[in-house]
Amino acid sequence: MSLRPSRTVIEPRNPKLNVSRNANLPHSPGIRVGDYIFLSGMGPVDPETGGRNLGPIAEQIRHTLINMAHMLESAGSRLDRIVKITIVLADIADYGEMNRVWKEFFPVDPPARTTCALQLSNGNGVEIECIALGGANVADGG
Amino acid sequence: MSRNLNLPLSPAIRAGEFIFVSGMVAIDPATGERMHGTVAAETRQILAAIAQVLESAGSSLPNAVKVNVLIYSMLEYSNMNEVYREFFPVDPPARTVCGARLSGGSKVEIDCVALA
Repeated sequence: MSLRPSRTVIEPRNPKLNVSRNANLPHSPGIRVGDYIFLSGMGPVDPETGGRNLGPIAEQIRHTLINMAHMLESAGSRLDRIVKITIVLADIADYGEMNRVWKEFFPVDPPARTTCALQLSNGNGVEIECIALGGANVADGG
Repeated sequence: MSRNLNLPLSPAIRAGEFIFVSGMVAIDPATGERMHGTVAAETRQILAAIAQVLESAGSSLPNAVKVNVLIYSMLEYSNMNEVYREFFPVDPPARTVCGARLSGGSKVEIDCVALA
């Protein structure tokens, strides 16, 4: 029998981004297991107020990806260590705009991705979740 | 359920350290048919069934890592959450919840990745 890898809850360094705790929702921001990090779906939360930032869709996507970077960095990972990402839009008409923003954040070897349009909570125009590699020490380029 | 309904999917697959559980809808264990109830009732039925699947594979709900919940209307979000939180009282898994059109009149569908 192999030992089960440890299962640890990921917490953002910025407590304003701990949406589930702040709103008493029954999920964790993310879970790390072995080499992998699983993040919950994230929306465009304002990192200074913890409120929603429901501006134009390009801004919502940028805010969400910046928050996702913060969440991954809080766990010792980074955006460029994302393996698979799922982006849910409220309106599939935003697909082209989303792709333009995407290239700003993932210029090289972008992660595997699925995009679809579904009904989202809190009036979000976008929600993004990912699976990323943890990595031992990414601060020095690992 | 997939075998009983002759659907081309497996209830769950174990791969290395992980178990991937297919999207599950509420099934009446007595008849094997879809159970149609409130979002709360369907959520309870599904999470109990997922617990069974995981336990059959040597895992358990506290070992769930990532859960996806689809509900037919986001207006039911808090009704789902009230039942959901009973099943994950401590360090709940990462989760994404969306509103979607589901098969067969189900109101809730849940899948998960768990540690084996």
